[in-house]
Amino acid sequence: MTFRKSFDCYEFYDRAKVGEKCTQDDWDLMKIPMKTMELKQKYGLDFKGEFVPTDKDMMGKLFQAGFEMLLECGIYCTDTHRIVKYTEDEIWDAINNVQKEFTLGTGRDAVRVSKRSVGDKKKPIIQGGPTGSPISEEVFMPVHMSYALEKEVDTIVDGVMTSVRGKSPIPGSPYEVLAAKTETRLIKQAAAMAGRPGMGI
Amino acid sequence: MPIFGGYAGGIEETTIVDIATHLNAIVMSSASWHLDGPVHIRWGSTNTRETLTIAGWACATISEFTDILSGNQYYPCAGPCTEMCLLEASAQSMTDTASGREILSGVAAAKGVVTDKTTGMEARMMGEVARATAGMEISEVNKIVSKLVPLYEKNYASAPAGKTFQECYDVKTITPTEEYVQVYNSARKQLEDLGLVF
Repeated sequence: MTFRKSFDCYEFYDRAKVGEKCTQDDWDLMKIPMKTMELKQKYGLDFKGEFVPTDKDMMGKLFQAGFEMLLECGIYCTDTHRIVKYTEDEIWDAINNVQKEFTLGTGRDAVRVSKRSVGDKKKPIIQGGPTGSPISEEVFMPVHMSYALEKEVDTIVDGVMTSVRGKSPIPGSPYEVLAAKTETRLIKQAAAMAGRPGMGI
Repeated sequence: MPIFGGYAGGIEETTIVDIATHLNAIVMSSASWHLDGPVHIRWGSTNTRETLTIAGWACATISEFTDILSGNQYYPCAGPCTEMCLLEASAQSMTDTASGREILSGVAAAKGVVTDKTTGMEARMMGEVARATAGMEISEVNKIVSKLVPLYEKNYASAPAGKTFQECYDVKTITPTEEYVQVYNSARKQLEDLGLVF
């Protein structure tokens, strides 16, 4: 059955208000573990200790299991305690229309992120940075500059400032906003100081 | 970040959820890419045997059957300026690169929870290993990673804390210390001995 329109976040919001009610415990302790166990058995999944798969049939079964997991369980909205369900056509519509490439950064420092395949000869994009680790205000710029100076690094993934103007960036306070803005400014400055002002952040 | 040993269960079960979350990112948010990061419930690390397997299978499957772009996050147990941290990051970089991952995002050394314990050197290793792994035969990658993981997996409980950025670098010139360069070279030599060609 075809769908009325492609699914988007607004449709998700609407369905999160009217979907099936479920407690978080029921979702976490019953629905998810029961379904994963059922699908593992149904598709006979066994990775046999391989880190990167070589068995394409098994990969096909894994894909079917993951698809079925999303289709049959849906997504739990922890705010409304309701389940958002998608139709099979809505999921395929999204899969068939994904963005296949995009650019991070600007000018000569921009890098193109594009599809890779298993065993691809093309090197992946290296996004260097503290990845959400706590970083002191005093060394925030130099820490990020240490990544921007590495030629192996293509873009920056930032850390989190532990203080701003000496104050803790408590969530919901003005210092949280100031910290977020200061982080961005300092990382841009770090990239520029490393001679790569257009690096994607 | 799917949790191995969490509500979903074991390796295969958690990978099923990982596939579902990749698909959901595209359906729910029309995302440009999905940032993955299977993590071990006991060790808080993405570099364990189990989480590497989940990441490798999930990404290879998504690469094989869709055009979804996928990244992975790095959370080694050990801190900067230690061979263990660099070897942990290398195992994940090899797994990610070979399984078709588009973006490698890290490295949050010391599990990403200790202040100032990350530096550019860990990202250099992630990048150098990715460059060396790209285009390798999958069987060869699996062989090397199978020898690499046992070099550090018995040490999660006593993982070396490593050093802060200020101890690893000359902060004025943003240059790594001679000590860290030696540690880096030693880790690189171990990878070469296992068969990785830089």
